[in-house]
Amino acid sequence: MSAERLDLRGVKCPANAARALLRLECMDAGQELELWLDDGEPIDSVPPSLEQEGHEIVDRDRQGMHWCLRVRARR
Amino acid sequence: MIYLDNASTTPVAREVVETMLAALRDTYGNPSSGHRAGLDAARLLERARAIVAAALQADPDEVVFTSGGTEANNLALQGAVRADGRPGGHLVVSPIEHSSVLETAAFLEGQGVAVTRLPVDGEGRVDPDDVRRALRPDTRLVSIAPANHEVGTVQPVDAIAAACADAGIPLHLDACQAFTRVAFPADLATLVSVNGHKIHGPKGVGVLRVRRGFPLPPLLHGGGQEGGLRSGTPNVPAIAGFGRAVQLASPAENARQAGLRDAFLDRAQEALPGARVFGSRTDRLCNNACVGFDGVPGRELVVALDRLGIQVSRGSACASGSTRPSAVLTAMGVPATVALTAIRVSVGRTTTMDDIEAAIAALKRVVASMRGGR
Ligand SMILES: Cc1ncc(COP(=O)(O)O)c(C=O)c1O
Repeated sequence: MSAERLDLRGVKCPANAARALLRLECMDAGQELELWLDDGEPIDSVPPSLEQEGHEIVDRDRQGMHWCLRVRARR
Repeated sequence: MIYLDNASTTPVAREVVETMLAALRDTYGNPSSGHRAGLDAARLLERARAIVAAALQADPDEVVFTSGGTEANNLALQGAVRADGRPGGHLVVSPIEHSSVLETAAFLEGQGVAVTRLPVDGEGRVDPDDVRRALRPDTRLVSIAPANHEVGTVQPVDAIAAACADAGIPLHLDACQAFTRVAFPADLATLVSVNGHKIHGPKGVGVLRVRRGFPLPPLLHGGGQEGGLRSGTPNVPAIAGFGRAVQLASPAENARQAGLRDAFLDRAQEALPGARVFGSRTDRLCNNACVGFDGVPGRELVVALDRLGIQVSRGSACASGSTRPSAVLTAMGVPATVALTAIRVSVGRTTTMDDIEAAIAALKRVVASMRGGR
């Protein structure tokens, strides 16, 4: 399944989490989202919000001042 | 009671009321707060933003929620004129814009901004060549409504957008009447205003779509919400309702309304001697009919119809108390005596063919008695 991509760099908390959840809700269960976040508050607060809704953080990778996450939509 | 003043404002759709009530009751968080309640509010806000963005062919980051069309228009005009920080500058508008554009232009003129008010033809149409000729090196913005609020005329807005694009001049579209009703080149415009209450959403909510990278300064300073362009805690229930209203709009409903509009215009001209249609029969908003009856003052007609339970208006709601002829009709070259006969009959989601029949029957009675009485 091809990964979708959502770039939330520059988007404030909690709008970033809200937009990530909106996208994940529209995806098929098990499909993966490549998610870009800023370092700092976003990387601290967005992943727990996604996990709380049952989405799975498969991978996280720091890229300078940003983070690239792989998130699997809730089954 | 038959409500035929949907161009002034529309009844809020049942689905919108439900969305808003749920948001008011359950989603009280501040959408900027980092906790669960804040995230819940942010989800409503961002869902609505995504819906409006898609409808305007925009990116969610380009959607700025405001308190309505008036604020969106003020932000657009005042901001664009000041965008590069230099004094002076030049603004191009049509003379038939909504007062929130015209009065803002006049305010800016008082502050040293040159303003060109373009001519319109007898149906209220702006000539794209006039736009082209009006552009100057110091022009900061061209502001045109894709569809007029009084006579419903739809502008050749693709050609106007092309004229602006060729010259590299930003274009603002006040699409409060056009939104969800007629196509307009949102993708070619730098700024686009829309609002909730013209499309069966709530009052007090609107959007300015601001093209990414355009250096617009804010009118309101504070907490930096809405990308810094509109500080203040967003009105989440109204915004959620606005999003729902956008989802409810449909081409099929627009076509149905156009049928009601045409039925009204045809019947008015058949059944009533001395009837006149203002604006265009072809390039016309699906919900707007603007008519007059020789020798019958529009102001008195509105009152007489209201007594029979039929609610229509004279031109724009803001001008309805005035004894002066409409500025829109005057700019179209309509003589004052004729312009003073104008009434606007505008249909919406709740309007039926029975309502149109009733309005025509009432008009026949009222016009005959008003003519007989003098
Ligand atoms: C074309 C147009 N622009 C702007 C507005 C003002 O919008 P609001 O009432 O949301 O301030 C209106 C109607 O009210 C309108 O018809």
